[in-house]
Amino acid sequence: MNVSFRWVRDVAPGIGLGPDRAMERLALRGAPVEEVVDLAAGLKDIVIGRVLEAGPHPNADRLTLCRVAGPDGEVPVVCGAPVVRVGAYYPFAPVGAVLPGGFRIGRRKIRGSYSEGMLCSERELELGEDHAGIMLLEGQYEVGAPFAASVGLDDVRMDVEVTPNRGDLLSHVGIARELHPAGQDGIALPPFPGGRGEPAASFARGAAEAASAGCRIHIEDPELCSRYLGAVIRGVTVGPSPAWLADRLRAAGARPINNVVDATNYVMLELGQPLHAFDLEKLADATIVVGRARPGESLVTLDDETRAVTPDMLMIRDAVQPVAIAGVMGGRDSEVSEGSSDILLECALFEPRKVRATRRALAMSTDASYRFERGVDPVTMEAAVLRAVSLILATAGGTLDGEIIDAHPRPWVPAVVSLRPSRVSHVLGVDFAPEAIAELLVPLGYAVEVAGADRLDVTVPGHRTYDTLREVDLIEEVARTHGYDAFPEVMSAARSGTVPDHPLFQLEDRLRDLLAANGISEAQTPALGPKRHGDVALLNPMSQDEGHLRRDRLPGLLTHVERNMSRGVRDVRLFEIGTAFAPSDDGPPIESSRVAVALTGGRTPPHWSSGAEPFDIHDIAGVLGLIAREACPDAAVVPAGVRAGGRAGGRASAPAGGQAQRLFAPGRCYELVSGGGEVVGWGGQVRPEMMDLPPWAGAVVGAEVVLPAVPPRKPDVTARDLPDQPAVQRDLAFLVPVGTAAGEVLDAARMAAGRLLETADVFDVYEGEDLPPGTRSVALRLRFRARGRTLTDREVDKTCRRVVRTVKEKTGVEPRR
Amino acid sequence: MLPAARGFVIEDLKRLEADALREVRTARDPRELEEVRVRYLGRRDGMVSRCLRRLGGLSAEERPAAGAEANRVKGAVDKALQERGAALSLDGASDQDGPDLTLPARSGWQGTIHPVSRVIDDIWSIFRSLGFTRARGPEVDTEWYNFVALNTPLDHPAADEQDTLYLSPGLLLRSHTSPVQIRTMEQHSPPIRIVAPGMVYRRDTYDATHTPAFAQIEGLVVDEGVTFVDFKATLAEFARRFWGPGTRVRFRPSFFPFTEPSAEVDVKRIIVREDGREEETDWIEIMGAGMVDPAVLDNVGYDSERYTGWAFGMGPARVALLRHGVRDLRLFYENDMRFLGQFR
Repeated sequence: MNVSFRWVRDVAPGIGLGPDRAMERLALRGAPVEEVVDLAAGLKDIVIGRVLEAGPHPNADRLTLCRVAGPDGEVPVVCGAPVVRVGAYYPFAPVGAVLPGGFRIGRRKIRGSYSEGMLCSERELELGEDHAGIMLLEGQYEVGAPFAASVGLDDVRMDVEVTPNRGDLLSHVGIARELHPAGQDGIALPPFPGGRGEPAASFARGAAEAASAGCRIHIEDPELCSRYLGAVIRGVTVGPSPAWLADRLRAAGARPINNVVDATNYVMLELGQPLHAFDLEKLADATIVVGRARPGESLVTLDDETRAVTPDMLMIRDAVQPVAIAGVMGGRDSEVSEGSSDILLECALFEPRKVRATRRALAMSTDASYRFERGVDPVTMEAAVLRAVSLILATAGGTLDGEIIDAHPRPWVPAVVSLRPSRVSHVLGVDFAPEAIAELLVPLGYAVEVAGADRLDVTVPGHRTYDTLREVDLIEEVARTHGYDAFPEVMSAARSGTVPDHPLFQLEDRLRDLLAANGISEAQTPALGPKRHGDVALLNPMSQDEGHLRRDRLPGLLTHVERNMSRGVRDVRLFEIGTAFAPSDDGPPIESSRVAVALTGGRTPPHWSSGAEPFDIHDIAGVLGLIAREACPDAAVVPAGVRAGGRAGGRASAPAGGQAQRLFAPGRCYELVSGGGEVVGWGGQVRPEMMDLPPWAGAVVGAEVVLPAVPPRKPDVTARDLPDQPAVQRDLAFLVPVGTAAGEVLDAARMAAGRLLETADVFDVYEGEDLPPGTRSVALRLRFRARGRTLTDREVDKTCRRVVRTVKEKTGVEPRR
Repeated sequence: MLPAARGFVIEDLKRLEADALREVRTARDPRELEEVRVRYLGRRDGMVSRCLRRLGGLSAEERPAAGAEANRVKGAVDKALQERGAALSLDGASDQDGPDLTLPARSGWQGTIHPVSRVIDDIWSIFRSLGFTRARGPEVDTEWYNFVALNTPLDHPAADEQDTLYLSPGLLLRSHTSPVQIRTMEQHSPPIRIVAPGMVYRRDTYDATHTPAFAQIEGLVVDEGVTFVDFKATLAEFARRFWGPGTRVRFRPSFFPFTEPSAEVDVKRIIVREDGREEETDWIEIMGAGMVDPAVLDNVGYDSERYTGWAFGMGPARVALLRHGVRDLRLFYENDMRFLGQFR
């Protein structure tokens, strides 16, 4: 809501607040000011000038040569306007002045004549679009006085943030009521310049139907329109509004159109009541029918759009067709324009939900619909229509014909809400006596009556009809008016809650710490992605690139690896914890929390002591194991494809199915398989063609793990005693042909080594020219230990011979001699 | 073998010992010391080793004495070498031949936790100390949980405040974490004392202050005798613990359909400028909050006459933005290693 502070002061004369205090008070009353514009900021150099002489420029047809009285006496001024009125006052920019656009006025010679200053147009002062002529100021002014203050433009415009429940604040009176210490009682609407005061009007009242001045109003649907006031004004002269009116509208951020339309906008901005003026001659049979649209109808609205309307929408119709969408926008063909003479002024009350549904269905929003949706004060309707009539009579002339027509099928009955002072204390934690409550509520317009030992009956004023319906609404009013700052801050003893801390948060926290400690940085990427990344589509996406919910997190994370590399960052280590979405046959998609990791570049930071090795597939196997230990301790990292009929410990022939595995190069892909045989994670080297990478890019490896929805408790570790005997270590090297997996050799060795084996590791893999072609040397380090006794060399040697034998039997691999 | 041979071996050993010990003493650095070791104790050509090999030529009577002497010499030289080695390596610290301690240290990569996650962690750890636990709910939810149960009729303008992304009619991406309030209360009885961090979605385009997906953290307290005074006190205490003891906290009336009275909470922090002077910031809006609307309690079957409560919602990304002086929210979601790497 754009508020002109000058306007607020005009409707609440005793307000006694400057703009700064007003802003603070509004903030503390629930309507903070988001932006303040000093409307006169660009006009500080502009003064009042008076034209003493004006005549044609000797050397140019289209220029006028004037003598202007300004702050420094009389100066010659060359003016581009063809008509300059002698004796009149204009905004004048003397030499040295800076216009709102930043242009500095200098002493210039124009076609042989000196010009020492400039008479300004509205556009040059950024006050309007009109640049046809310079801005003539009607009335008497002091020459040389500041222009802005002289014409009432020294104003600030505040953009007040009004919450959806406070439709009553969408007007200057509403804001003033909130600011004035006396509230509603502090409001006094000023008379209009040149006005004749409020017209002595009477009302032709009826229920669903009323008529006067040859005009009939009929409400077909009282549920959607409880009241419709119509005033017939004949003989208006439609033209530009006087400057004071145009300035006032501009100060409140509205655009002046013509004196009739401006009058309706003025009253809407002042009182919050949307009004509409019809050209009466365009209404068939001078009839207004408030009723539903007929099937197949359409209407061209004021904005020149053809709107197809449907029978669930409420229309204002004449005897033949719709002429306005009720509470939203008028029709183009019945609008008031230059030639209009007789008008019908509408002041109606429409049902908020219907206005909202209609304007949403039509994908539009107007100042009127915005107010109707939030609720318009039923009590000020008569005042609003009278104010608009007197303003039109003052600015456009004409006469009010007959009585004001008042079709009022559903009278408004003020709500009475019961309030228990005990409940106020129960919710707010501070005791309020009935008198104290009354003192807080009455200035807001509420009437408070004691109705029992612990009961106040509170009558709600019209402007709060829509948001004060229940006891708790009044409790809020008490708190708000008392001032939130006035409440003490005392923490009382709290009982523990019944909700256990969700274990998935705990798991996610551990993973975050673990991965960060391993040198990987946390990323956050949106769950929204393009179609190729998701199976669950959005109905109303912002763009196609964000039209689907991701089925996996790793592909999204990889795009961030790409982005880093496109910026020349070579070492990228990112992880992310986020939700993935899988479609379900009926109902919402199935969500799972995922952790995704992507690594590329050097495994260690560059250091003078050694060259950096790049990340490879074995790193991602390690990361999978790291995550698995926290997330799913019973799961194992296995080369992909093994479950699908591959040999135990063997190399994968191709990645097993699954969307994610298509990311990875064949034979360079792992799966994380749970104890139940379910694939709960995958990782590998990303196929280069899946990414858009610079030529210098090395391997990118990535992994993703599905976190359990409710992670089980991690089993407690049962500690083992430290060994009491020394271990015996033996190294055995094998010549493993290409195509035979080291894992098979290790598995066979483990099996053969039996109970005495403590650990078995691969400690060296070597390929070299001194080995038979097609083989590599895989060296195992076996560590043996027996409980309670020292192992003998004989025992260990015997076991090692068995290992060599078994490996050969099981895998055909020979020891390296 | 001649007796002279025996005498020669032992004499030889003694002379070697004296020479070796002298050379050990005078070695100036580990490299020279190593040369000494190789010269005397080297396995193949070391002089002591060669003497030892000559023992094989002695008679059975002579061999034990000579062998014992050889071993004694070997041990003595070895000990001297070790002592001198230790001394030299310490001396080396001040020597030009020692390691250059000004070279960059060796370390592994350091990972960082996302600044928005950190803010959530910090918020959570304060609420944990105030007796809260964490609850979660789905990111795709229904209009009932996202709006209706939260006292937000779909035909009310309040539903416009959050332009919502839909999957199908009635099914949406939650536009706030508040549905977790409803789901938690449906499954648990009072007292409720939870926070609920999570991602939420709005129909916003990316700009300096908006992203279509962002984190939010919700809080909910419901019990008997919970009042506006507790509400103010707890959130003010949180704010002072989060932003520092000198922080001022302001509660302003506002409107949320699911709380009444509703409030916006602002803080004014004390910041220390570069010149060391303390300065107060402007009021910064940090969260929306309020007393739980009785209609919300009724919707989950709680007795709203008996139970009262309060709730809050805040945006950790905005807090992170202010905390780190980040001017554009998008930086948090570009995941540039150079940006993330700053938050160690």
